[in-house]
Amino acid sequence: MNNKLARKLITLALIVIIALIFGATTKSFYTLRNFQMLLREAAFIGLISLGVSFVIIGGCIDLSSGGIICFSGIVCARLAQMGAPGVVVLLGAVVAGCLCGAINGFCITKLKINDFVTTLASGYVFSGITLFLMFRDARGRIESPLIRSESFLVFGKHINGFYYITIAWIALAVIVYLVQSRTRFGLHVVSMGSSEKSSAMSGVPIGRLKFLTFVLCGAFCGLAAVFTVSYQATTYPNLGGGMGFQAVAACVIGGVVLGGGKGDATGAVFGSVFLVLILNGIYKYGLSTAWQYFIQGGIILIAIFFDALFGSLSQKRLELLSHADEIGTGGETLNAK
Amino acid sequence: MRSEEIVLRAEGIRKQFNGIEVLKGVDLEIRAGEVNALMGENGAGKSTIIKIISGVYEKDAGQIYIGGKAVEIKTRQDARRYGISVIYQELSLVPSLTVTENIFLGQEIMRRGLPDRRAMKNRVCALIDTYGFDLKENALVGSLGMAKRQMTEILKALSQDAKLLIMDEPTSALSAAETEKLFETMNGLTARGASVLYISHRLEEIYRMADRLTVMRDGSVVGILDKTEITPEKVTTMMIGRELKQTQKRSVRRSDSQCLEVKNLSYKKLLTDISFCAYGGEILGIGGLVGSGRTELIHCIYGSAKKSGGSITLRGKPLSGRVRRNIKNGFGLVPEDRRSEGFFAVLPVERNINIASYDFLSAFGAFVKRRQEIANAENAIDKYDVRPAMRNIPVENLSGGNQQKVVLGRWLSRDLNVLLLDEPTAGVDVGVKADLYSYIRELADNGAIVIMVSSDLEELTNVSDRILVVREGKIFAELTGGEATQTAVLLASSGIREAEGDAE
Ligand SMILES: Nc1ncnc2c1ncn2[C@@H]1O[C@H](COP(=O)(O)OP(=O)(O)OP(=O)(O)O)[C@@H](O)[C@H]1O
Ligand SMILES: [Mg+2]
Repeated sequence: MNNKLARKLITLALIVIIALIFGATTKSFYTLRNFQMLLREAAFIGLISLGVSFVIIGGCIDLSSGGIICFSGIVCARLAQMGAPGVVVLLGAVVAGCLCGAINGFCITKLKINDFVTTLASGYVFSGITLFLMFRDARGRIESPLIRSESFLVFGKHINGFYYITIAWIALAVIVYLVQSRTRFGLHVVSMGSSEKSSAMSGVPIGRLKFLTFVLCGAFCGLAAVFTVSYQATTYPNLGGGMGFQAVAACVIGGVVLGGGKGDATGAVFGSVFLVLILNGIYKYGLSTAWQYFIQGGIILIAIFFDALFGSLSQKRLELLSHADEIGTGGETLNAK
Repeated sequence: MRSEEIVLRAEGIRKQFNGIEVLKGVDLEIRAGEVNALMGENGAGKSTIIKIISGVYEKDAGQIYIGGKAVEIKTRQDARRYGISVIYQELSLVPSLTVTENIFLGQEIMRRGLPDRRAMKNRVCALIDTYGFDLKENALVGSLGMAKRQMTEILKALSQDAKLLIMDEPTSALSAAETEKLFETMNGLTARGASVLYISHRLEEIYRMADRLTVMRDGSVVGILDKTEITPEKVTTMMIGRELKQTQKRSVRRSDSQCLEVKNLSYKKLLTDISFCAYGGEILGIGGLVGSGRTELIHCIYGSAKKSGGSITLRGKPLSGRVRRNIKNGFGLVPEDRRSEGFFAVLPVERNINIASYDFLSAFGAFVKRRQEIANAENAIDKYDVRPAMRNIPVENLSGGNQQKVVLGRWLSRDLNVLLLDEPTAGVDVGVKADLYSYIRELADNGAIVIMVSSDLEELTNVSDRILVVREGKIFAELTGGEATQTAVLLASSGIREAEGDAE
């Protein structure tokens, strides 16, 4: 069986197992309503991790997605309150996200600042800027007014219980998958993540490519912000808090390996579902916060352990293959002469 | 199809790295349809000049002309556009992509905006067919051995219709037959009017293939020889500026009590039944084809591969399967794939030399003795002539041959009982080679066991006291003294016993 496929089945199996356990031990798990809510939340992390997956596959990391969402969120709210039509708000937020991504990309490719440090710092910067832009009451305290723009609130709605964000997420996941596996851009991102030096020697435009992955990541964060702000009909300074790390975690759980060159959109999708299942399923037990943290962390560790286990197994297989290859063929070349 | 027409001319090319001038005004001229060989000591600047021609490095000064017109080559794409393709010394392959993807990386065939996988696959299959390489188009490059990676790299360069093909030591990982194929390919290309710039440290290859030879020393071109003028003496004197000292064979003082015995060793499916003894005081050569399992044999002894069966004993005591333990007991290994197994690319030269010696370079096994660390490194740099003689630069910035000296220096600077060498002088120039051989000899003379795998027949026969030929997972032949000729090794490698004919 194909390695990549096997890796995906592992995450899928984990999801099924966890879902079965939750279903058997809690009351309201197998309800349509619960699934719809889970999918909506998965879509939020999922959209972000789709963007982040580009960056990670390309061999970098982006921790600033939380900050980008925060910033795009306030752009959304401001535009909507100014009475801009929904589509304009959407575009505005996505552009805001791209801008943040471009700043990251510029620092990393042009100023050559380390990606980890850049995005950690820029995440704070974006959150900081958001605070400047926040709505304030007469005495200067931050407030979160309700957004009433009908054409914008549409994005938070659902059809038959399926939220637009879920639909957008799945559609985009398919597109991202195709982009990553079928286009030259996708191929180049994988090769850059796998070996930057070799790719450069082969004429892959590293700087431009890396820049683009960060911009794309920003765009996805902007999009995630639009749907979420619209659903909540407001924004607040802590929107997207912790999302930077969660999106990276979702990718890693789904087999998008830190360090680059491996994984794709399906991994990011499965990883997000898994993460949301863990983070939100636990609430149903009514455990103390201490236990919640403990179990959430524990299960994520287990998931990553499976990833590591799988990694070492497939490495062994690769070695075996390479030997088989050499016994089978290498030995006779001299005779052929 | 040689003509006087000049395809590429470089004039007064200069290049500095961190204030050190490595190219001091290089003039190079390549004519249409010729094989122009480029030779020179390690660190002479050969790889650097071709990286400038192919747009990897930017030059500090000088001018490049193509077909008589002045051009600027700033990126790899520029070079491609001018019909220049390159096989780099350190391979430029991406391990997680397939052979096909690698070959077309950066130059994908596009159809309606998307890479056309089918077309690329067909093209690669056709290429593999034409050149008769034993390679699968959909194999992951990460799963391939050195030789096949090298073939992929070669196909990558051949996939474009190059007017000028530059090859930086392409044969260092190839078997004799594959080298032969490559030479045929080169002949085909020149017959078509394309030119080849060929870098190699193997004189016999140059002798055979080159129409002209350009010799570099210390960042400048010191001479250009025509085919008829190329003689080994002339070339080496030009290259290193002195005559080569002859290595003479001398009597071996073999100590039978110092014995490393390998008995019925098997490793996966690759090695089935290997038995031999290596003795202190002698250099035991191991010959055979690339991929015949010689590397794995060495790794089994060292402990970095886990044997599937059999026993390995040193002075009657079974060996530990742990690398760490073995190093403590005086083992050392110079691996074949120096880039991934031999050195730490970003670490400075001194760390690379000392890395295995912190047992005696630290106090209480914890605190590094800085002064001794420096002394040890400088000692090795000096003795093994690592150039530039600076202990602080990262090894990745050294030339290929100098990297090899660093790896050798790491072990030779220790008190070794057993030294395992896998292609020890790949990419090392003739002058240094002779020096390295004498150090290896010295080690053996002091009673150490030396086992050397080599595909360079000249090296194998000249340096070893005894040669074992591995074939199909077994020791196929043992050649001692006068039997150990290059022909005998070559024949045995492909399964023919020379003695058979006349013995009966
Ligand atoms: N990126 C770099 N940074 C600093 N110094 C470098 C760099 N690349 C090469 N050098 C230095 O330039 C000099 C020439 O190196 P180059 O690789 O061109 O030698 P070479 O002739 O190809 O030798 P070899 O036969 O060993 O491959 C060496 O002294 C090397 O240390
Ligand atoms: Mg070189």
